[in-house]
Amino acid sequence: MHGGNNENENIFEIEEQAAAEIETLFDENTILVQRTLRSGQRISYEGNIVVLGEVNPGAELIATGDVIVMGSLRGVVHAGASGNVRSVVVAFKLQPTQLRIANHITRAPDEEVFATNLPEIARLKNGVVTIETFNSEWQGK
Amino acid sequence: MGEVIVVTSGKGGVGKTTTTANIGTGLAALGHKVVLVDADIGLRNLDVVLGLENRIVYDIVDATSGNCRLRQAIIRDKHLEGLHLLPAAQTKDKTAVSTDQMEELCDELKREFEYVLVDCPAGIEQGFKNAIAGADKSIVVTTPEVSAVRDADRIIGLLEAAELRDPKLVINRLRVRMVKAGDMMSIDDMLDILAIDLLGVVPEDDQVVISTNKGEPVVVDEKSLSGQAYRNIVKRIKGEDVPLMDMDNDSGLITTLRRLIGLK
Repeated sequence: MHGGNNENENIFEIEEQAAAEIETLFDENTILVQRTLRSGQRISYEGNIVVLGEVNPGAELIATGDVIVMGSLRGVVHAGASGNVRSVVVAFKLQPTQLRIANHITRAPDEEVFATNLPEIARLKNGVVTIETFNSEWQGK
Repeated sequence: MGEVIVVTSGKGGVGKTTTTANIGTGLAALGHKVVLVDADIGLRNLDVVLGLENRIVYDIVDATSGNCRLRQAIIRDKHLEGLHLLPAAQTKDKTAVSTDQMEELCDELKREFEYVLVDCPAGIEQGFKNAIAGADKSIVVTTPEVSAVRDADRIIGLLEAAELRDPKLVINRLRVRMVKAGDMMSIDDMLDILAIDLLGVVPEDDQVVISTNKGEPVVVDEKSLSGQAYRNIVKRIKGEDVPLMDMDNDSGLITTLRRLIGLK
């Protein structure tokens, strides 16, 4: 019985440690948007934005942190709006009208765009906005 | 108690008035008591499309401001027993009616009629707000153009914000041949962005222009493809389950012959 109690205490210690570690990852607020954003609708937030839905052309997302869209991102998106160059944009279908990170602005080439069915991540690499297939090995900033 | 359905689109010229006239006429042809309300004050058109322009004495502004009784402003159609029109004023502007007045008006009308169809003006300003004020349901009209779809998307967002849930989509002026060639947005392209229920698809048809100019909505034309499309829409509004029709209007002599001998 005593042994059992000790084990429990150990588990608590480990959990506390893990919690403390995770605590250091909390750097900004995040809002969860559980709807589709249509043309003319705009969300501006000091922190990260997660959208469970689509972002249609004509809609705008502006975050001082990261932007994640669990759907198609076809509107205008601005991550790191107050200048954070390490902000990223992730979407299941990344086809923004215009994509901005910090003070960098890009748009899709005028020619036919390369379409993929995989989630993609956009971030700044050496001052250039780079778009790659997103995989979970990506370990933050 | 009837229901108030607003027909809207955001963009101008996509066929709101034509759609309103045809759905209304179609419902009346099936024996329903219908009133069409022209909410496009200052740019009235619905009366012209129905061929009733010369019968207007009082209009919607007279009715809401108490210049006349509502009954006096409503015009009976010249062909169909159950079809009525409440015309817009031509000499006033959109601010001549308030949203409260519009709500009252719609409440009064739906006590008398089974269907109240409101033809919304283009734009998202006061005229739009008035038109949707008393509505129970909404129909969004678009054409297969990027700009029209963009405006439809904006309108759907505004309808949802006004608690008008579940708008239904009418795609107007679709050209099947151009879609096939990849030169025009397809039905799926539009549904992909707008993500609302499809009420019907009306093909581009010269007959629509001809009938509009004559003041007789194409829905009563048994032969035309667009008339059939509108009749299907009317049935769907009544709750019937009607499949989308085959709009391949490539029915020239040679194609028909080829089909007969099994070449296609």
